[in-house]
Order: sequence, then C-alpha cells, then structure tokens
Amino acid sequence: MNVETTVLLTILIPILGSFAVPLAGLASGKARSVWAVAVSAVTAVLPLTLLSFALEGGELVVRKNLALGLDFVLIIDPLSIFMASVSSFVGFLIVVYSLGYIRHEENQSEYYLMVLLFIGAMMGLVFSGNLIFLYLFWEIIAISCWRLIGFYRQPDHVRKADKAFLVTFFGAVVMLLGFVQIYGVTNTFDITAMRGTLVPGTAVLLILFGIFSKSATIPLHTWLPDAGVAPTTVTALLHAAVLVKIGVYAFARLFLYTFRLPDGWQEALPIIVMVSSLVAAGAAAVENDIKRILAYSTISQIGYIFLGFTAMNAAGISGSLLFILMHGLAKAGLFLCAGIVIHAVHTKDIREMGGLIKTMPVTAVAFLACAFSVIGIPPFGGFFSKFLVILGTVQAGRPWVAAMALFTAVLTMYYLFKVFSLVFLGEAKHPAPERTKSMVYVVAVLAVLSLAAGLFVAYPTKLTNIATTQMSWWLR
Amino acid sequence: MTPKMLLLPILLPAALAAILLLLPRTLRLLRDVLAVAGAAVLVYYGFVFFSVKDLRYAVPWLGMGIDFDLRLYHFSSFILLALAGFLILITLYATVKMKDAPRGREFMAYVFLTAAFANGAVLANNFVPLVFFWEGLLVTLYGLITIGGRPTSGRTAVKALLISGFCDFAMILGIGLLWTVSGTATMSEISVEPTGLAAAAFVLMMIGAAGKAGAMPFHTWIPDAATDAPVTFMAFLPAAFEKLLGIYLLARVSLDFFKIQPGSAMSILLMIVGAVTIVLAVLMALVQTDLKRLLSYHAVSQVGYMVLGIGTAIPIGIAGGIFHMINHAMYKSGLFLSAGSVEHRAGTTELKKLGGLRRDMPLTAFGFIVCALAISGVWPLNGFVSKEMVFHGALETGYTVFAIAAWIGAIFTFASFLKAGHSVFFGERTREVPEVRESPPAIVLPILVLAGLCILFGVYNKLPLTLFIQPILAGHAEAGAPLDFTSHALDVFNMVALISIGCLVLAFLLHRHGFLKGGRKAHLASEPIHRLPGVHQLYDLAERRVFDPYEQGVKVLHGLSTVLFKAVDRPIDFVYEKIVTVTGSKFTGILKKAHNGHYANYLAWCLAGLIILAGALSLLAK
Repeated sequence: MNVETTVLLTILIPILGSFAVPLAGLASGKARSVWAVAVSAVTAVLPLTLLSFALEGGELVVRKNLALGLDFVLIIDPLSIFMASVSSFVGFLIVVYSLGYIRHEENQSEYYLMVLLFIGAMMGLVFSGNLIFLYLFWEIIAISCWRLIGFYRQPDHVRKADKAFLVTFFGAVVMLLGFVQIYGVTNTFDITAMRGTLVPGTAVLLILFGIFSKSATIPLHTWLPDAGVAPTTVTALLHAAVLVKIGVYAFARLFLYTFRLPDGWQEALPIIVMVSSLVAAGAAAVENDIKRILAYSTISQIGYIFLGFTAMNAAGISGSLLFILMHGLAKAGLFLCAGIVIHAVHTKDIREMGGLIKTMPVTAVAFLACAFSVIGIPPFGGFFSKFLVILGTVQAGRPWVAAMALFTAVLTMYYLFKVFSLVFLGEAKHPAPERTKSMVYVVAVLAVLSLAAGLFVAYPTKLTNIATTQMSWWLR
Repeated sequence: MTPKMLLLPILLPAALAAILLLLPRTLRLLRDVLAVAGAAVLVYYGFVFFSVKDLRYAVPWLGMGIDFDLRLYHFSSFILLALAGFLILITLYATVKMKDAPRGREFMAYVFLTAAFANGAVLANNFVPLVFFWEGLLVTLYGLITIGGRPTSGRTAVKALLISGFCDFAMILGIGLLWTVSGTATMSEISVEPTGLAAAAFVLMMIGAAGKAGAMPFHTWIPDAATDAPVTFMAFLPAAFEKLLGIYLLARVSLDFFKIQPGSAMSILLMIVGAVTIVLAVLMALVQTDLKRLLSYHAVSQVGYMVLGIGTAIPIGIAGGIFHMINHAMYKSGLFLSAGSVEHRAGTTELKKLGGLRRDMPLTAFGFIVCALAISGVWPLNGFVSKEMVFHGALETGYTVFAIAAWIGAIFTFASFLKAGHSVFFGERTREVPEVRESPPAIVLPILVLAGLCILFGVYNKLPLTLFIQPILAGHAEAGAPLDFTSHALDVFNMVALISIGCLVLAFLLHRHGFLKGGRKAHLASEPIHRLPGVHQLYDLAERRVFDPYEQGVKVLHGLSTVLFKAVDRPIDFVYEKIVTVTGSKFTGILKKAHNGHYANYLAWCLAGLIILAGALSLLAK
C-alpha cells in the first residue's frame, strides 16, 4: 500500500465508518462497540505505518485538481504524520475507555458516530494542504463537538455546547476572512504554493482568532472549562488530545511551515501565549471542580506549545511537537482518571473527595504519573517537551518569558498536587472502588506510556527533529 | 573496563528498584538480601571506578547538542563512591528499621531509584542528562516522605516537592542561559566569566545547587520532614545524598562553569548565603525539643559551612567546603541513624521524655557522641579539620565577618549537641520510656561505621585530603602554588584553632549555665537564650512559620491565582456570558420590531439596501 492510499484511507475510513455506526447499532449494542473500536483501531494503525516514511524525511504532496482553485491537496510530511499518529492513537484509547464509561447512557449510536467523525475530520484537517479544505474539516469537528458537549441534553449542557460552538465558529469565520485576505496576496488557497510568503499583519490577526478560539487561548478560552459538562471521555478527547491541538497544528502549519510572520507579531506572540498560560494556571489553582481544573490546566499547557513555536528555533519547535504527544498522553490520562473518580463518587468537587488512594490505587498512581508528566518532572515524558520549549525560548533571547513559563510550571505543580492531595490522600469521604476494568486499563496504559515516552524519548524526538528541520525553511 | 560500564551505576539500582517494587511482600528476606547485595555491588564498583578515574561514555541522544554523555573523572568517582557507601549503610539499616513499616517495600525501591538518579546526576556530562537525573529525584523525594504515614506527611511531601521543584526550575533557566552564552551543553567544555547574562545564570544555577543541599531559604521542608518522614529517609536524603549532590554541583558551578574570583560579587554572595544559613539555622536548632527536628536544623546549618567554604574561592576554603560535605554526610547520617535507633527502642525522640540511655544502649550512645563531637568541631575529629579549613579560607578573603559568623555557628552547634546528648544519654532515666535494650546489629553497625570514619578522617586527615579532596582542586589553584594543607597548620596550636576551641569552651559554659538554671534538667539548657527579651518573640514568630518562605510563597501563589481568576478570567467570561448574549438579544429585538408587517416599511428597507449596495459597488469600482 503506497503512502497516498494510506493517507486517503486514514481520512475516509473513520468518516465513512462513523456513518455506519447507527447501522451497527441497529444490529446490537455489541456490534456497535466492536465496530467503533475496530474503526478507531484501524485509524490509529494506518498513520503508524507511515512513520518509516516520515523518519526518512519524506514529503509528498498529492493534488487533485478541482474547479475554482479549490484543489484537493494532501500534504504528507513528518509534521502531518506525527500529528495524525498522536491524535488517532489517543482517540483510539478514548474509544476503548468509552466502552465502560458510556455503557449505561442512551444515544450511544450518536456518541460513537460523532467521536469517529471527529477523529476522521481531524485526520482530514491534518493532511489538508488547502486552506478551504482545512476550514471545512475544522467546522466538521466543531459540529461534532457541539453534539458531544451537549450529549447529556440538560438545558444547561446544551447552552454550554452552544457557547463552545458559537465561540469556535466565530473564530473560524474570522479566520476564513484571513484566508480570503491571503488569497488576495497569493491568488491561491494551496498551502504548498505559498511557502515563505510574507503575510499582512491583519491576516495574521484574523487567522489567530480562529486558532486561539479552537485552542482555547485567552481571550477566547472560557468555552473550554464550560465544556466540562460533557462526558469525561469527550472532554479528554476535546481538551487533551485532539481538539485543542487543532489550533496548535494550524499554527505550526500556517505560521511556521508556510508563511513568514511580520516582525511585530514575532515579538508579541510569546507574551500573549504566556499570559494566557499564566492566567489559566491561576484559574486552575482557584477552581474546585476537577474537570474545570484540568481544562484550565490544558489551556495553560497549550500556552507552552505555542511558546515553543514562537521561539522559531530547533529546540523550541521540536519541544512543542514533542509537547503535543506528551501532553496528549498525560492530560488524557488525567481526565480519564478524573472520569473514574467522578463515576465512582458522583461529584466533581475536589473538596468532597478524599482518601481514594486506598480504594483506587491504580487510578491514584496513574494520576500521579500523569501529573508528574504534565508538570514536567523526569523521568516522565513531559519533562523533555517542557525543557526544550523553555530552552528554545531562552535561546531566542527571551529569558523573561522563560522565567514566566517556569513560574507557571511551579503553579502547575501547586494546583495538581493540591488536587492529588485532596482527592486521593487524607480522610476517605466516599470510599468507592475502581469498577470498570476497561477504564482502569486505559489510564494505566496512558500512565505507562507517559513514563515510556520519557525513558525512550529519543524515538519520538527523532521524528520531531525531522519534522522541525523540514518545517524550518528559514533556518536552512 | 569499557565506557559502557558507566551505565551500571544507573541501570543496576534502577532495575533493582523495579524488582524490589514487584517482589511479593512475603519474600521479605529475599528483598533484604537483594537490596544489600545490590548496594554491595555498587560499593565494589565504586572502588573500581575510583581507581579507573577516567572514562567517558557519550552517545547521541536528542540532537541539538543533546548527547547522553557520562563522564567519570576524579570528582565524580569520589562522589559515586561516597553515594554507594551511604547507600549500603542505609539499606542495611532499613532492613531492620523499615521492617514492619507500612510500605516498607516501596521505601527500599525508592531508595534504589534515588541512588540511580543520584549516580546519573553525578556522572552526567551534558546538561540535559544532568537535569533529567537531578529533577527525577523529585519523584522519589515525594514518595519517600509520604511513607512517613502521618496525617501531615502528604502536606510536607508537597512542600518538599514545591520547594525543590522551584529550585530545579531556577536551575533549568540558569542552564538555558549558560547554554546560550557558552554555546554548548557539554559540561566539561564550559568555562565562562560570570558577567551580564552569565551572572544571572550563575545565580540561578546556584539556587538549584544550594537548594538541593538545603541552604537557606530553601530549607524549610527539612525540619517538617524530620517529624513527618521516616528517620531513615532523613539519614539518607537530607543528611547524605542531597548534600553530596548539592555541594558537588555547587562546586562544579563555581569552579568549572564559572571561574569565581576571591572577593568578587559572586563570591561574596555565596559567602553571605553560607553565613546566614549557618547562624540562623543553628539558632533554630538550639531551641528544638525533639531530637530529630534538632538534627534537621543542623543539617541546614552545616550546609552554610560548605557554601561559605566554596564561596571563599580560595583553595583552602574550597577544599574545606568539599571536605566538610563528606564529613557532614558521615556524622549527620550517623546522628540521624542514632536518633532512629533511640526511636526504635524508646519509641520517642522527644528530649524531655528521654534520659540516661547510655547504660542500656552503649553502642548507640558511643556512635552518637562521636558524631556529635565531630559536628561540633572537637579536635581531633573530622569536623574540626574541615571547619578549620573553612575558617582559614574565610579569614584569607579578608572579610573577617564571615569567619565570625562561622564561629558563632560553632558555639551554638556545640551548645545544642551538649543539650541533646545530655538529655538523651546522660542524666536520669525517665518514667515515660520503658526498659530499653541496644538495637539489633543491622542498626548499630552503620552507626559505628560512620562514627569510625569520623575518627579516621579526623585523626588521619591527610588520607582523605590527599586521596579525595586535593585532586579535585587540580587546575584551580593558581599556577605553581602548591596546595599544601599543612602550611595552614591543621592542628590545635594556632590562632584560628585556639579561637575555635574558645568557642567550644563558651558553648560548654552556656550549657552549664542553662542546665543549672533549668533545675538540672538538660533539655531546658537552651532556655536562657530562648527566653532572652526580643529573641523570644522572634522564636515565636519563627515557630508560627512567619519566616517560612514556603508558607508565604503559597499565600502569594494563592493570592495571585485569585487575582488572575477574578480580574482576568471571569471578566472575559462575563463578556461572553452577559455582554454578547444581551447585545445579541437586544439586536434581534430591534430587528423583530422592524418586521412589523407593513408593506411600506419593507419597501423602505429595500430602497435603503439598494442605495447602500450601489454606494459600495461604486466605491469598489473606483
């Protein structure tokens, strides 16, 4: 199977497969589960087969000519393969976890349909080499998110889902305006044709609206903590692994791989994203709802990923790419641990929990491991990504921003351990055992992967380094 | 001996840690045998490496100048040997002391994991492996303190983690700056002048190193851990391992990476940190009523001597600082182990409940007394020698004030150990403590070994000084200047030594005065100083943790978070929740009213629209 077919299958299998979910659901609940897991597993494996292509530094552009300059373009390069592998793999783990978590809910067909559509659209977005197709997949994801956040159908939940949809939709439309302006400069929507173009500052601003709204960066972030009303699986998918990384990916694809940024933006961006990171960390330290804390934590960590990219040097970019992987694993792990806890004690307020380490040892240790990784403590994977981002920032001549980033890391340590102490240590208020095996396995796997990603960091780094070299045309 | 062998001190303890963690609880004997045997192998290789001295293992790792680079040379092999030595003593001790402790299995595993990280940090010759191993110690630090199992253990563990984490993050920033300035991450190639950005790098890396060693103001978790964590942990990490690592790095930073000149701003900064640490911590130690807490404050105070010694930037002072590091690790570890031995049999370490234990626990008492005299700097023990060297170094800089601070520290060190030793081992037996007997050999042996080493390193101080310490300074002394410690007359008959001895006499008089005044109760011997007007209020504030930067820091963190949340995050959300929705509904309300069903009305709308369209088109056409 050649590279092009693999990529087309990676996109088409989950998208088409998602629409078959209701059919499987008509047969039986079990068939539906098997189908959903099978589709997501295939989607997870396919990009992995491309890794050898990526490690050779391969780059392939597939172009299918359509009318009006709306060519269907696929960019298959280390960056897109890396992103697709990470997202689809975490997506697969979340589908497995969902088997236990969503078991007793209604509308399961809709749930799996939306999740698979989400993953498929993500794959499409990652490989898209045309701004219009990028936008299309972007909005498909927004729609499936909207349904997933409001999954429980309470009026309040639906309102929160609307909020998330409206904010991200608003951002995306503004971004589309930015694309139109870029079209005015380049006369094409084809990304590969406009590498190295200096884009006007207003276009940068317009596109940033889209990116920041999707990646929940201040001031377009508050929909993300509110989206915590969704099932925990969904929040893990949205917050941790996939959705918020879309903006980050678009940033890398557009502002690093493709365009040249005007000077002012290069100076302003690190400060904007670091302020976002710090404010979110502060909010996480104040909140008491475990899912809102983790959501704010995500916003905070996303700031680091942007920060690494804005450093525009090898250490920063490679660190940020690595961060996408490490944060995806660790934060998904944290959310899913929180899911197990919420499932068992029926509250989200950390002040009402306590002493759960005795009844939930695996969850507690997994939470601790993922927390270490998110904070950036070795031997867990998060250390390397955070270290490289900070190193890149210092090397870019911004020690003050780096100091702020490290201060945020201290704050991260403070609130994550506050959560751990309140939830798992101390007096047991609602002793409850870990019930569903598939859920516990998944968090254990994520914790072990966070550790393994640190111990064997040389392998993912090899890929991110290659991706970095390929992206950084200005360094060559 | 192939370079790959350098992986052994890292991989062996790491593998052992995994095995110990997975071994079933019932196989305790096997666990203990494995642990001691593993530590013995490490000691053996410690000697082998010490004799080899020059080895380098470097493989490419992450690109961007980041290699997995391990380098064995004199200094690192010396620390490696010392770490292995402490590891085996602690392991042996723990086989008895942690036998029935809940989570004893985890304890052993974390100890070995700590050893793996520590060995890696010492061998690392590239900043990234260094930080990897160095910061990895946070994980075991947290785990080991929580094993204490007291209600406040979790809190103290978080405190230790946050403080150490802060120091480590400061170090990361320093490394980033130094890397940028020097252009390389290979530690053995770096040597820069501490000016401008590099000066900031120096201060940040110093925070990392001194914070690990427990210098002020990064010390406050240590006294808390003394009561909340197992005493074996105290003898292991804060007393031995962290001092060795912290001072090792501090020496590397101030000798290798930056060439600190005597009298320079950096040198004075270090000396100030050292002197302040010595005096303030020893004053806190003096008034403690619990043996373990008392020892923990000394574990802080003694760091001051090491930092001061290295900060002098004068060969004799640096050598003294490093020698004090190894000496301190020996006697402080010995002291904590003795305290553990007392706790093991008597069930408490509160001074007022203890007394007269020397008859029932003679070996523990002997070990404690030797180590206590060593830490107090009594001739001819090892503490005397290294402190003298630090005094000489401090005097040679010309800043006599630092030497005076060190002497003040010596007075109160001896006074507090007179109080501690007197309360625990002399005087009358108390009613609170039942009949006790000597602890089992696995507990007593490590104490006696450490006490023996204190005597050896003191009486035959030439041996460690020429074997271990002097080669570290090779290349750092001025060209041609012979490093001859005897020229400083490290014996009792010179001016400096006489002043030191005078300090000890003063301490004895202070103790005697307090002892008599407190109604012949040794544990009240420090009360006359504690009760001094003015001083007393300060002590009370300190007890209430007003001076604890951690407590204040957490308040700041919390306050800042609240401000960020209430002043930035919520107002932004208010815009979405209220302003956008209200504007939206107002706007739709207006539109609704516009659609009133009158034909003429709609016609007017159309007309207006056409005009606007025409206007826009004509504008665009231009």
